[in-house]
Amino acid sequence: MMRKSLGALLLAAVASTMLSACSTGQGSTESSGNGGASGGVTTIEFWAAPNPTQQAYWQEMAKAYESEHSNVKINVSAIKESPTSEASIQSAIAAKSAPTMSENINRGFGAQLADSKALVPLDTLDGFQDIVKERNMNSTIEPWKFADGHQYVLPIYSNAMLFGWRLDVLKELGYNEPPQTYSEIVELTKKLKDKYGDQKYLWAKADLADPTAWKRWFDFYMLYNAASGGNKFIEGSRFTGDRKAGEEVLAFMDDLRKANGLLARQVTDPFENGVGVFTDVGPWTFTTWKEKYPNLKYGDNFALTMPPVPDGMDPKDSKTFADTKGLVIYASATKEQQAAAIDFIKWVYSDAANDAKWFEQTNLPPARDDLKTNDSFKAILDKQPELKPYAENVPNAIPPMDNAKYNDLQTIIGTEAFNKVVKGQISPAEGWANMQKAIEGALQ
Amino acid sequence: MDHRNNKMGWLFTSPYLLYSLIFFFGPLIWSFFLSVTDWNLIAPTFNLVGIENFANALKSPSVHSAFWVTYKFMIIFVPIVTVLATAVAVLVHGLPRFKSLFLIGFFLPYLSSGVVSSLIAKGLLSYTSPMNVFLRKMGLDIDWLGTPLSALGIVGLILAWKFTGYYALILTSGLESIDKEVYEAAAIDGVTDRQRFWRITLPLLYPSLYTTLILAFGVTFGIFTEVYQLTGGGPNNATNTWQMEIFKQAFTNLQAGYASAVALLASVATFISIFIIRKFLEIWGKRNGWV
Amino acid sequence: MVGSNRNRGIRRTVRYALAMILLLVMVYPYLYMVLNSFADWAHIDKQLLPTKYSLKSYEWLFTGGETGIPRPWLHAFLNSVMVSLASTVLMMIFGVMVAYALSKLNFFGRNAINNFVLFHMFFPAIILLIPTFLIIQRVGLYDSYLGLILPKAVSLWAIFMYTNFFKAVPTVFIEAARLDGASDLKIMYKIMLPMSKSITTVIFLFLLMERWTELLWDMIIVKSDRMLTLNVLISQMFGPYGSYPGPLYAASALLTLPIIIMFIIFGKKFQEGMQFSLK
Repeated sequence: MMRKSLGALLLAAVASTMLSACSTGQGSTESSGNGGASGGVTTIEFWAAPNPTQQAYWQEMAKAYESEHSNVKINVSAIKESPTSEASIQSAIAAKSAPTMSENINRGFGAQLADSKALVPLDTLDGFQDIVKERNMNSTIEPWKFADGHQYVLPIYSNAMLFGWRLDVLKELGYNEPPQTYSEIVELTKKLKDKYGDQKYLWAKADLADPTAWKRWFDFYMLYNAASGGNKFIEGSRFTGDRKAGEEVLAFMDDLRKANGLLARQVTDPFENGVGVFTDVGPWTFTTWKEKYPNLKYGDNFALTMPPVPDGMDPKDSKTFADTKGLVIYASATKEQQAAAIDFIKWVYSDAANDAKWFEQTNLPPARDDLKTNDSFKAILDKQPELKPYAENVPNAIPPMDNAKYNDLQTIIGTEAFNKVVKGQISPAEGWANMQKAIEGALQ
Repeated sequence: MDHRNNKMGWLFTSPYLLYSLIFFFGPLIWSFFLSVTDWNLIAPTFNLVGIENFANALKSPSVHSAFWVTYKFMIIFVPIVTVLATAVAVLVHGLPRFKSLFLIGFFLPYLSSGVVSSLIAKGLLSYTSPMNVFLRKMGLDIDWLGTPLSALGIVGLILAWKFTGYYALILTSGLESIDKEVYEAAAIDGVTDRQRFWRITLPLLYPSLYTTLILAFGVTFGIFTEVYQLTGGGPNNATNTWQMEIFKQAFTNLQAGYASAVALLASVATFISIFIIRKFLEIWGKRNGWV
Repeated sequence: MVGSNRNRGIRRTVRYALAMILLLVMVYPYLYMVLNSFADWAHIDKQLLPTKYSLKSYEWLFTGGETGIPRPWLHAFLNSVMVSLASTVLMMIFGVMVAYALSKLNFFGRNAINNFVLFHMFFPAIILLIPTFLIIQRVGLYDSYLGLILPKAVSLWAIFMYTNFFKAVPTVFIEAARLDGASDLKIMYKIMLPMSKSITTVIFLFLLMERWTELLWDMIIVKSDRMLTLNVLISQMFGPYGSYPGPLYAASALLTLPIIIMFIIFGKKFQEGMQFSLK
């Protein structure tokens, strides 16, 4: 027995020394932050969003680029989520081990990184203006300019977040199309509950009661942007929220809760399984559906609409949240890496076919001005009609705030107002007032 | 204490001494320093802010909740796990055969990773799970992870599930060491089962019970994985443990300085609590004449 | 007499029944995990014991499903094995070395070190998390095997256990060996270790288990795919882009089963060791 376990120990000890040897060996060739150029080959590290389709796209692009440019090597990998991709980027920067470039950066996080001098102002790099011109994104990129006049983030995609409705259930309740105002929806909720009791809810989503900052983009902001006609909420470091609209949104959630229409619990894919009949739907969902829920067909058993509006507002004026993210280059990269990175982006975006491929593979509408006019995209929209409303409503979508404290601020929306209203712990007016006070405190 | 012993003694302990220099004293001094800065881990510069971090931490509601949550977990976890482990130990101890087989079976939960047990708990507690469907038929609709008390209870139960077998093992060896003759003598005197447990078993079991209690109290100061996976510290900070709070501040909000201040406060609270608990357990044992 | 015998029989049966039921309750979560990992996707988390089975979850795990990007499960598994073994072995070696010195070598400063070990053991380690991360980063071990192993290369608990155990070994043996000209290393290897077989099993399994299930440190220190440990990889899968409960259960089974198998193999020895070490 002892002999045997000693043998095992020895084996493990040998394995561990081999490990350390190979880890240091790899470490020196793959280290990204410094060096990167050896023997005329520049190695850059590209972090893709933790969404497999996006990762696959960038891997393909990197390979194609490498085959034309033998002096550059691009390592594409997905950003870890520990616990979010933002946190992973931050700890990598803290560990002086940031990649050369990464995608999946929202405006608020971009501002946070820029504040800490972690990003390269893209407009200072050669070739940036060419990208903006060749990709036809002059007006799309305009609102991404930061307070210091620099562009730190190159938006990759922008899609108007929409709400999905289960048409099959609506039809059972006597509706041919989704309701669009608050009171109509509350009424529908009552009918739904009469028929199904605790089998079905209007909106079933655990995130409704979760204060995590980014989750507000996909519930509160969608409704709030619609109700307020696209109010900014926070401008610079000033709270400019529209109290009336905000209270209306919270009162709507409160009414749904009173009608027992909300289910903020852990359920596996509630909308897909029919536990909820209404939920926010992003275009990235369709890839997953193809695999897991092939029975869901656009126009047949589910519909997509802009967010509902308060009574008395025209649903046609509805606005929504723009889910838009972009690409950054990190300041810790060497000059050669930065140059190679910008050249890679330029190469990708000089050909609209690449953006078309992106659109087709990820279902995320490319952030460019000619999405509706360029023939490269028309074919995809015709083939996948469920993507059309996302592309069409881009002008009606409001991008997230660019405040560096966005994490704290959006957490407050949840903890003080939205989550509490969903759980029936506070009145809408009181919730809004508490939230405003807390946000104003945090902004100082 | 000769020269050779000195040399060998220091040589053999040197790995540990080196380790504590790098991974104990180094970090300890660094964290004192961090706690008086406003550094965010990534900015190139930072400022010295004195005791501001500590002042803010003492005012912060989530730090307050982290402080109390530890004791709430204690109140839930320690009694449950102690009673369960004692029950298992007494039950298994009385079995004439297959004793070790059972003990090993009960020990298995201890081998689970918190990530895995959280995943299973999530599945068992989801709205459409058989248990919840059944409970709703009975007219009970419980938002397990969304209600402060039940969220605390669930995490406490997961931990109790994990540690019961381990503590039962310790208690069983305590029981094994009790002399059979004591029981036989008691049987002749006509002692009832209940009297036997309270008057004989428990006092003799006290040393191993003390060990498990200290271990169990210790567990409540280090809860992270289950909370991180299941509740993220919610709802309303109801399950926000020290580890969770420090992790959030340091690695989500990137406030390394502030997080270090919170960590220092956490260690002070932990030290004092463990000291008091130990003293309390010793006094309790002495009072009853068990020690 | 007959009556009391039957009574005894009944009581014994009740005891076994109770123990069996309790055991089933305790083991049920594992059963639930394994069965769900083999369940048809439409049946996951819907039944106490799924009724329809498929291998889809495992297939997805290794092929990446529709997305075509396989997650590095196998690699992460190997990483977990290597890191846990290396860490554990180092903790054992250092544990024996230090404990031998602290229990059997009468050297200057021994008491101070002994007391310090106790203090260190009860010290709340959480305070050291951030600076330890910074130290690892400064010495260039971020996202490396050594970064995962070195901070977990010494276990205070192992030192403490071995020290207490070695104290019980009669010094006569050691003195006799010394007279025969045995070196300290030889004494450790030839006398101390063979005498502590049972406790070594216990310590080894506990340390291995603890390292195997570690999440917080691994999560902070791992950056690239090739460094992922299984635990971190699984916790990554709770992402916002659609969840796959089936593959998660499959991965959890892969994470849990090796350690359980290991434990069952060593089970008997382990339990003996426990009894022994607790006396």
